[in-house]
Amino acid sequence: MAKTRSGPRPPMPQNNPPSVNEGAVIELPVRARPRKSRPSGPPRFRIFIIDSGWNSVARRVLRHNFALVRRLHRDDPIYLLSRKRSRDFIHRHRSLIGRDPIIAVHDLDAIQQHYGNAGFHGLHLHLGILRTPRQVLTALQAFARFLRVHRESPDLEPDIRSELRREGIVGTVEILLHKVPRVIGG
Amino acid sequence: MFDRLGEVVSVVLGALALGYLIYEIDRRKRKLSDLFYVLDNEDADISAELMDMVESGELQPYTRGGRA
Repeated sequence: MAKTRSGPRPPMPQNNPPSVNEGAVIELPVRARPRKSRPSGPPRFRIFIIDSGWNSVARRVLRHNFALVRRLHRDDPIYLLSRKRSRDFIHRHRSLIGRDPIIAVHDLDAIQQHYGNAGFHGLHLHLGILRTPRQVLTALQAFARFLRVHRESPDLEPDIRSELRREGIVGTVEILLHKVPRVIGG
Repeated sequence: MFDRLGEVVSVVLGALALGYLIYEIDRRKRKLSDLFYVLDNEDADISAELMDMVESGELQPYTRGGRA
Protein backbone atom coordinates (compact mmCIF):
# COMPACT_ATOMS: atom_id res chain seq x y z
CA MET A 1 0.00 0.00 0.00
CA ALA A 2 1.40 3.33 -1.00
CA LYS A 3 1.70 5.89 1.68
CA THR A 4 0.24 9.31 1.04
CA ARG A 5 1.39 12.39 2.81
CA SER A 6 -1.16 14.11 4.83
CA GLY A 7 -1.21 17.34 6.72
CA PRO A 8 -0.24 20.85 5.71
CA ARG A 9 2.57 21.19 3.22
CA PRO A 10 5.55 23.32 4.24
CA PRO A 11 5.76 26.63 2.39
CA MET A 12 7.79 26.39 -0.85
CA PRO A 13 10.95 28.52 -0.92
CA GLN A 14 10.82 31.60 -3.15
CA ASN A 15 12.91 31.18 -6.29
CA ASN A 16 13.40 34.85 -6.98
CA PRO A 17 14.86 37.03 -4.30
CA PRO A 18 12.80 40.16 -3.91
CA SER A 19 15.63 42.53 -4.85
CA VAL A 20 16.13 41.08 -8.37
CA ASN A 21 13.61 41.94 -11.08
CA GLU A 22 12.54 39.18 -13.42
CA GLY A 23 14.30 39.38 -16.80
CA ALA A 24 16.98 41.79 -15.55
CA VAL A 25 20.48 41.08 -16.84
CA ILE A 26 23.17 41.15 -14.22
CA GLU A 27 26.58 41.93 -15.55
CA LEU A 28 29.32 40.12 -13.72
CA PRO A 29 32.38 42.23 -12.99
CA VAL A 30 35.18 41.74 -15.42
CA ARG A 31 38.37 40.32 -13.90
CA ALA A 32 39.98 43.41 -12.46
CA ARG A 33 43.43 41.98 -11.77
CA PRO A 34 45.55 41.52 -14.85
CA ARG A 35 47.13 38.08 -15.19
CA LYS A 36 50.80 37.99 -14.40
CA SER A 37 52.85 37.30 -17.46
CA ARG A 38 55.08 34.25 -17.33
CA PRO A 39 58.63 35.15 -16.44
CA SER A 40 60.88 34.58 -19.37
CA GLY A 41 64.42 33.30 -19.31
CA PRO A 42 66.11 29.99 -19.76
CA PRO A 43 64.97 27.16 -17.48
CA ARG A 44 67.23 26.21 -14.60
CA PHE A 45 66.09 22.60 -14.26
CA ARG A 46 64.82 19.73 -16.33
CA ILE A 47 62.40 17.62 -14.36
CA PHE A 48 61.68 14.00 -15.26
CA ILE A 49 59.01 11.81 -13.73
CA ILE A 50 59.73 8.11 -13.94
CA ASP A 51 56.95 5.83 -12.80
CA SER A 52 56.79 2.21 -13.87
CA GLY A 53 53.35 1.83 -12.28
CA TRP A 54 53.71 -0.01 -8.99
CA ASN A 55 50.38 0.32 -7.26
CA SER A 56 51.86 2.32 -4.43
CA VAL A 57 50.67 5.13 -2.21
CA ALA A 58 53.43 7.28 -3.69
CA ARG A 59 51.95 6.90 -7.17
CA ARG A 60 48.51 7.98 -5.96
CA VAL A 61 49.80 10.99 -4.02
CA LEU A 62 51.95 12.10 -6.94
CA ARG A 63 49.05 11.83 -9.39
CA HIS A 64 46.76 13.78 -7.08
CA ASN A 65 49.27 16.60 -6.65
CA PHE A 66 50.84 16.65 -10.07
CA ALA A 67 48.91 19.70 -11.30
CA LEU A 68 50.15 21.70 -8.33
CA VAL A 69 53.74 20.56 -8.81
CA ARG A 70 53.44 21.53 -12.47
CA ARG A 71 52.14 24.98 -11.58
CA LEU A 72 54.88 25.57 -9.01
CA HIS A 73 57.57 24.69 -11.55
CA ARG A 74 56.08 26.11 -14.69
CA ASP A 75 59.36 27.81 -15.61
CA ASP A 76 61.08 24.47 -15.99
CA PRO A 77 60.10 21.76 -18.47
CA ILE A 78 58.66 18.56 -17.01
CA TYR A 79 59.08 15.32 -18.91
CA LEU A 80 56.73 12.49 -18.07
CA LEU A 81 57.94 9.08 -19.07
CA SER A 82 55.14 6.74 -20.00
CA ARG A 83 54.68 3.58 -17.97
CA LYS A 84 56.29 1.45 -20.67
CA ARG A 85 59.21 3.83 -21.16
CA SER A 86 59.72 4.00 -17.39
CA ARG A 87 59.68 0.21 -17.15
CA ASP A 88 62.27 -0.10 -19.93
CA PHE A 89 64.38 2.64 -18.38
CA ILE A 90 64.34 1.01 -14.93
CA HIS A 91 65.06 -2.35 -16.52
CA ARG A 92 68.28 -0.87 -17.91
CA HIS A 93 69.15 0.83 -14.60
CA ARG A 94 68.29 -1.81 -12.05
CA SER A 95 69.45 0.18 -9.04
CA LEU A 96 66.24 2.17 -9.49
CA ILE A 97 63.89 -0.80 -9.05
CA GLY A 98 61.46 -0.20 -6.18
CA ARG A 99 62.41 3.45 -5.88
CA ASP A 100 59.91 4.80 -8.35
CA PRO A 101 57.96 7.02 -8.73
CA ILE A 102 61.15 9.02 -9.12
CA ILE A 103 61.38 12.74 -9.74
CA ALA A 104 64.72 13.32 -11.42
CA VAL A 105 65.91 16.90 -11.54
CA HIS A 106 68.83 17.91 -13.72
CA ASP A 107 70.52 21.18 -12.83
CA LEU A 108 71.28 22.74 -16.21
CA ASP A 109 73.67 25.29 -14.67
CA ALA A 110 75.74 22.56 -13.02
CA ILE A 111 75.75 20.52 -16.22
CA GLN A 112 77.04 23.55 -18.10
CA GLN A 113 79.67 24.28 -15.45
CA HIS A 114 80.95 20.69 -15.34
CA TYR A 115 80.63 20.21 -19.08
CA GLY A 116 78.23 17.33 -18.67
CA ASN A 117 77.20 14.98 -15.90
CA ALA A 118 80.66 14.09 -14.65
CA GLY A 119 80.24 15.80 -11.28
CA PHE A 120 77.19 16.95 -9.39
CA HIS A 121 74.37 17.50 -11.85
CA GLY A 122 71.09 17.16 -10.01
CA LEU A 123 69.10 15.03 -7.65
CA HIS A 124 66.47 12.34 -7.48
CA LEU A 125 63.49 12.14 -5.20
CA HIS A 126 62.81 8.44 -4.66
CA LEU A 127 59.19 8.51 -3.56
CA GLY A 128 58.79 4.75 -3.95
CA ILE A 129 60.72 4.04 -0.76
CA LEU A 130 58.10 5.79 1.36
CA ARG A 131 55.18 3.88 2.82
CA THR A 132 52.46 6.27 3.93
CA PRO A 133 50.63 9.05 2.05
CA ARG A 134 51.68 11.56 4.71
CA GLN A 135 55.36 10.75 4.25
CA VAL A 136 55.05 11.03 0.48
CA LEU A 137 53.21 14.32 0.63
CA THR A 138 55.68 15.81 3.13
CA ALA A 139 58.63 14.74 0.96
CA LEU A 140 56.98 16.09 -2.17
CA GLN A 141 56.29 19.42 -0.50
CA ALA A 142 59.84 19.66 0.88
CA PHE A 143 61.23 18.86 -2.55
CA ALA A 144 59.02 21.38 -4.37
CA ARG A 145 59.88 24.05 -1.80
CA PHE A 146 63.60 23.34 -2.04
CA LEU A 147 63.65 23.61 -5.83
CA ARG A 148 61.61 26.78 -5.80
CA VAL A 149 63.66 28.48 -3.06
CA HIS A 150 67.05 27.53 -4.52
CA ARG A 151 66.16 28.07 -8.16
CA GLU A 152 68.44 31.10 -8.42
CA SER A 153 71.25 29.60 -6.37
CA PRO A 154 74.66 29.93 -8.05
CA ASP A 155 75.73 26.53 -6.72
CA LEU A 156 73.02 24.06 -5.82
CA GLU A 157 75.15 21.25 -4.45
CA PRO A 158 76.23 22.89 -1.15
CA ASP A 159 72.61 23.99 -0.67
CA ILE A 160 71.41 20.40 -0.95
CA ARG A 161 74.14 19.10 1.34
CA SER A 162 73.46 21.71 4.00
CA GLU A 163 69.69 21.12 3.77
CA LEU A 164 70.23 17.38 4.21
CA ARG A 165 72.57 18.03 7.15
CA ARG A 166 70.00 20.33 8.73
CA GLU A 167 67.24 17.77 8.13
CA GLY A 168 69.51 15.12 9.69
CA ILE A 169 70.14 17.23 12.79
CA VAL A 170 66.42 17.95 13.14
CA GLY A 171 65.77 14.21 12.72
CA THR A 172 68.29 13.38 15.45
CA VAL A 173 66.70 15.86 17.83
CA GLU A 174 63.30 14.42 17.02
CA ILE A 175 64.54 10.88 17.72
CA LEU A 176 65.91 12.07 21.07
CA LEU A 177 62.54 13.64 21.82
CA HIS A 178 60.76 10.43 20.70
CA LYS A 179 59.07 12.18 17.79
CA VAL A 180 58.79 10.91 14.24
CA PRO A 181 61.13 12.89 11.96
CA ARG A 182 59.16 15.06 9.53
CA VAL A 183 60.28 13.91 6.14
CA ILE A 184 61.04 10.24 6.38
CA GLY A 185 58.53 9.27 9.04
CA GLY A 186 58.90 5.95 10.87
CA MET B 1 77.85 -8.51 45.22
CA PHE B 2 74.43 -7.08 44.32
CA ASP B 3 75.88 -3.59 43.98
CA ARG B 4 78.40 -4.86 41.50
CA LEU B 5 75.73 -6.74 39.53
CA GLY B 6 73.53 -3.66 39.48
CA GLU B 7 76.38 -1.58 38.09
CA VAL B 8 77.08 -4.12 35.35
CA VAL B 9 73.41 -4.25 34.37
CA SER B 10 73.23 -0.44 34.25
CA VAL B 11 76.33 -0.22 32.09
CA VAL B 12 75.05 -2.90 29.70
CA LEU B 13 71.62 -1.27 29.44
CA GLY B 14 73.18 2.14 28.89
CA ALA B 15 75.44 0.75 26.17
CA LEU B 16 72.47 -0.94 24.51
CA ALA B 17 70.43 2.27 24.59
CA LEU B 18 73.33 4.26 23.15
CA GLY B 19 73.94 1.63 20.47
CA TYR B 20 70.28 1.65 19.49
CA LEU B 21 70.29 5.43 19.28
CA ILE B 22 73.35 5.46 17.04
CA TYR B 23 71.87 2.72 14.87
CA GLU B 24 68.54 4.54 14.55
CA ILE B 25 70.15 7.89 13.68
CA ASP B 26 72.37 6.20 11.10
CA ARG B 27 69.41 4.31 9.59
CA ARG B 28 67.37 7.48 9.22
CA LYS B 29 70.33 9.38 7.83
CA ARG B 30 70.79 6.71 5.17
CA LYS B 31 67.08 6.72 4.39
CA LEU B 32 67.09 10.50 4.05
CA SER B 33 70.01 10.48 1.63
CA ASP B 34 68.32 7.67 -0.30
CA LEU B 35 65.12 9.71 -0.50
CA PHE B 36 66.86 12.92 -1.60
CA TYR B 37 69.50 11.30 -3.71
CA VAL B 38 72.26 13.57 -5.03
CA LEU B 39 73.42 12.76 -8.56
CA ASP B 40 77.15 12.60 -9.22
CA ASN B 41 79.47 10.87 -11.67
CA GLU B 42 78.31 7.41 -10.54
CA ASP B 43 74.89 8.21 -11.96
CA ALA B 44 76.19 9.71 -15.17
CA ASP B 45 74.80 6.91 -17.35
CA ILE B 46 71.29 7.25 -15.88
CA SER B 47 71.26 10.99 -16.48
CA ALA B 48 72.91 10.71 -19.89
CA GLU B 49 70.13 8.46 -21.11
CA LEU B 50 67.46 10.92 -20.00
CA MET B 51 69.35 13.79 -21.62
CA ASP B 52 69.68 11.81 -24.84
CA MET B 53 65.93 11.19 -24.87
CA VAL B 54 65.36 14.94 -24.68
CA GLU B 55 68.04 15.84 -27.23
CA SER B 56 66.74 13.29 -29.72
CA GLY B 57 63.20 14.59 -29.35
CA GLU B 58 62.02 11.24 -27.96
CA LEU B 59 60.72 13.07 -24.90
CA GLN B 60 58.72 16.25 -25.17
CA PRO B 61 57.96 18.62 -22.30
CA TYR B 62 54.64 17.92 -20.65
CA THR B 63 51.74 19.91 -21.89
CA ARG B 64 48.28 19.35 -20.49
CA GLY B 65 46.89 16.09 -21.84
CA GLY B 66 50.12 14.83 -23.36
CA ARG B 67 52.53 12.14 -22.17
CA ALA B 68 55.74 10.86 -23.75
